[in-house]
Amino acid sequence: MKSRPLLLLTPMLLLGALFLLGIGNALVQSFGYIPAFHLTDFTLRYYEEIFEKPALLDSVVVSLEISIVSSVLATVLGVALCAALVYTGNVRGKTLQVVKLPILIPHTVVALFVIMVLSQGGLLARTLYALGLLNSQKDFPAILYSSSNLGIIIAYIWKETPFIAYFVLATMSSVDSTLGEAAENLGASEVRSFSQITLPLSMPAVTKAFLIVFAYSFGAYELPFLLGATLPKALPVQAYIEYIHPDLLHRPYAMAMNGLMLVVTLLMYGFFYGLARKGDKGIGESGHGT
Amino acid sequence: MGHRRHWPLSLFLLIEIISILMPLFILIVWSLSGRWPWPDLAPEALSLRGIQSLLGGRFDILQVMFSSTGFSLVVAVLATIIGTMAARAIVFYDFRGKKLISFGSILPIIVPGTVLGMGIHVVFIYLGLSDTYLGVLLVHLICALPYTVAIMADITRAVGNKLEIQAQVLGVPVGKAFSHVTLPQLLPGILSSLSMAYIISFSQYFLTLLIGGGSVKTLAVVMVPLIYGGDRTIASAYALLFTLSSLIVFGLFELAGKKMK
Repeated sequence: MKSRPLLLLTPMLLLGALFLLGIGNALVQSFGYIPAFHLTDFTLRYYEEIFEKPALLDSVVVSLEISIVSSVLATVLGVALCAALVYTGNVRGKTLQVVKLPILIPHTVVALFVIMVLSQGGLLARTLYALGLLNSQKDFPAILYSSSNLGIIIAYIWKETPFIAYFVLATMSSVDSTLGEAAENLGASEVRSFSQITLPLSMPAVTKAFLIVFAYSFGAYELPFLLGATLPKALPVQAYIEYIHPDLLHRPYAMAMNGLMLVVTLLMYGFFYGLARKGDKGIGESGHGT
Repeated sequence: MGHRRHWPLSLFLLIEIISILMPLFILIVWSLSGRWPWPDLAPEALSLRGIQSLLGGRFDILQVMFSSTGFSLVVAVLATIIGTMAARAIVFYDFRGKKLISFGSILPIIVPGTVLGMGIHVVFIYLGLSDTYLGVLLVHLICALPYTVAIMADITRAVGNKLEIQAQVLGVPVGKAFSHVTLPQLLPGILSSLSMAYIISFSQYFLTLLIGGGSVKTLAVVMVPLIYGGDRTIASAYALLFTLSSLIVFGLFELAGKKMK
């Protein structure tokens, strides 16, 4: 029965083919090949122009900044949160249900949370004003729609910290309840058993979670669209503007930005996949996939 | 079981829980507030204006909510069936290209949504799938599959196929051996796969907007302009409805999971 696995895989492979067709199409167009618009020369011009136009280069920097800062901080906080859940015995139950909430709340709603709390008329500004630390609404620093992108970063951290913790939880709690506690019974301090046994053995799950969060925050449209500055815009937002531009000759620029995002995320994936294969199996075979 | 006490970790956990629940609390208060001017820390008056706007707005919001829920349930069921099938192939068979498939199955998580969206949009325009529910369904499935395959592969591996093969040896037909022996054991995984795929579909904004044009009205697509339209009370009421409607279905899946244990 050699055809059995193929039969089982057929629906996924068909969707996969559609997926690859879409990506391939984006790449072909990014090299300036769009016969429908009478563009038939393969060229690297559009990629080169991204790096030559300061405004577009700024978009690259903005996206990298948002994704690196938010995913590094979310990973550190998420691992700490995971350790807190494991060491306080909250591996299941009500506390965990609360921690899971941000995973379920759409990014489009998280943006509103950030506006309610951190805008210049938001509750943080009001609290500081009530405490006499702020003279007027205008004195509160612009966290939203500013080129610091702080609002976007905070929104990602709020949403991704619990994701990291939940993703790593199964691995960390099983390592801790076996090897971690064994090390402590043999006289290791808790800090030492965590830093030398539990954390290193949980690292494959941590790197996978980091990779997912990094790729998402690098390429997602919603939060930079809702909370970002007018200029410079994050790559996905800028790419969409070029894509829907009435002048169809902007299309290759949109696709070149997409191509650039694709290269960055695939390089990250290849790097971490290589790392993961040394100590662990592929991501598709990980402990759990939230 | 040495249950250990760690006050710094407990404190951190407490801060995290407060920072998760506080915005939800503020959202509820704001959706019930009449006027809440600067610099007041509490609303001047409570009002049902926001809640009423849900019922009498420009859109029949409740109808969109139900159709959107139904649509995402279809995505969840299909993604789980496809994931279960693929997981069986990956776990129980050896074939050429297996490594490539497990490497490739995660790609939709890694590839940015705009790349997938714009690339596939052009393809869909040629195929006549843009601005259709089918087109949006296909894209949502692509986004949900990495998760459903991973979840189902885990549980399929844990359950194994020894009992199923034994049933077949004893003369039970292949299909019946799966549905009576293995399927009940897969149910916890099936439930988490369903809820994961549901959430991914239900909260998807950008891809639905791009592929669906204006014709596919999911709750996410209808909500965003309303939430960011200006009036904070009404925005909060809409956001609250959006959040609750996704949490309720997720909660029902969890409840079903608990019932089975």
